Amino acid sequence: MSALIEVSGLSKHFGGLQAVKDVSFAIEPGEIVGILGPNGAGKTTLYNLLTGFIPYDSGSVVFKGRDLRGLAPYRIAGLGISRTFQLCRPFVGMTVFENVIVGGLGASGGGGSGLDAHAHALLKQVGLAGKEQLAVETLSYGDQRRLEIARALAAKPALLLLDEPFAGLGSGEIADLSALIRRVHADQGLTVMLIEHKLHEFMRLVGRVIALDFGEIIAEGSPEDIVRHPAVIEAYIGRGDAEAEEQTNAA
Amino acid sequence: MFDKRIDYAGALGFIAFMAVLPLVFGGNYLIGVLTVSVIYGIWAVSWDFMSGLTGRENFGHSLFIGVGAYTAGFLNTTFGFGGWWSLPAAMLMAMLFAVVIGLPTLRLKGPYFALAMLSSAVIMQRLMLIFWEQTGGEEGINGIEPLIRSQLGFYYFALASLVLVTALLLALARSHWGLILRAIRGDEATCQAAGINVTFYKIASLVISAAFAGAGGALYAHYQLQVSPQLFAVVTSITIITMVYVGGMASIYGPVGGAILLVLLTELLRNFGEWRLMIYSCTLILILFFLPNGLIAPTWRRVKAKLVRPE
Repeated sequence: MSALIEVSGLSKHFGGLQAVKDVSFAIEPGEIVGILGPNGAGKTTLYNLLTGFIPYDSGSVVFKGRDLRGLAPYRIAGLGISRTFQLCRPFVGMTVFENVIVGGLGASGGGGSGLDAHAHALLKQVGLAGKEQLAVETLSYGDQRRLEIARALAAKPALLLLDEPFAGLGSGEIADLSALIRRVHADQGLTVMLIEHKLHEFMRLVGRVIALDFGEIIAEGSPEDIVRHPAVIEAYIGRGDAEAEEQTNAA
Repeated sequence: MFDKRIDYAGALGFIAFMAVLPLVFGGNYLIGVLTVSVIYGIWAVSWDFMSGLTGRENFGHSLFIGVGAYTAGFLNTTFGFGGWWSLPAAMLMAMLFAVVIGLPTLRLKGPYFALAMLSSAVIMQRLMLIFWEQTGGEEGINGIEPLIRSQLGFYYFALASLVLVTALLLALARSHWGLILRAIRGDEATCQAAGINVTFYKIASLVISAAFAGAGGALYAHYQLQVSPQLFAVVTSITIITMVYVGGMASIYGPVGGAILLVLLTELLRNFGEWRLMIYSCTLILILFFLPNGLIAPTWRRVKAKLVRPE
């Protein structure tokens, strides 16, 4: 089976900072892949490169056999990559229902009769039924997260990129949302990439983990293997002798 | 459904009121004031369609007005075309200017668009003076023919144009198009992530806005029977923006009321002599302070809510 998305040698630097360095991986259709890494590891930059929000310096991204180099974000979205943002970015001044409709307008080329029905179905699926006519500003943070996902799904993507969907949520809300992600994955065979720091839920949700640090892939494997991987432990907790060095310096 | 019928009834009531007003009070002076107010209405609605919906404030709407008016002036006098060619030609020229200015500036974020529009209008005003041999300089172009001989007839034509433009832009604003423009106001990045070509929609809406501003400019030229560089003045743009704020931004129909109200208010205050500007400004400040969402559209929504659910 050929990969849904194939990334090879992807690099990006901002001035002197190498944000993403020679990153290569492939994702098969139907996978849920987690992107793990400390703050500043380049996870969100990686998303921005994949979705065309930031142009990359070198390397290639091939999605469904098509090279994405130089395509505008809206074109890439139109090809079937939807994303959510780390901070919720709903369309303020509009209702919940209108937000989802806009999510579907780009994909359908500005119309389509099934759009309303699809939007209603999505809102029901994410648990926002009955809140269609509310102004988005009045939604709770958890509901805004659900809306982000409904909005992203409205474009009928083949690949969904979630950027810290659990950030700022309580444990009950996290369990609900993770059940929702599992459900859309199971129902629609949707391929999902997930950035998350809430490791407990993250590890149960994903089938495979790609660990990044300083813009490079430091490890790749099943969640069980990743948490024991020395490079990952080092990235999160720090090297043993570095700590010792600090202590001597302090003394 | 009932909701919609109240809207239609309100619109019909407004049109009837505007149509009957000159018949009841009569006099060419009133007809003149009403004609100007209706043309300002066209300008305000066209401003609201682009800037109100997308939130990209255009501080140089007078550019499109002036371009439309001068196009009408040149065609009618220098080139000797009949007056009715003015409207389509003015629309086309204004659209051309919108593409040329919109293409580079609407890709940028922040205040660049507002500044680019503002300075373009100022530059055009200067150009009219610099090339005075062709443009007539301060004097502008005189001797433009009226479209319709009867003043009242021309007023009704302008009113019909306003109704048509408003209906068209309202329909667009309430379609998926309008939804996308409002989403752009909300968050451009999310729009792109949803597969929407943000730049296209922004430029297209500016072009539509410019077309009607230009048509209004041509109407104005055929009403004044002359054009002058003053048409490009920044103060015209600011006046239009004020009218939109008073009417209720992004409502499309509100700015029509805002424009007519403010033009009439200016005339009513003429009796106050020196105090006129003071009273006018204070009224504006009070309206915007107590009704930050505007006067016309929010009031209409409240009236409608009362009618739909009588207590």
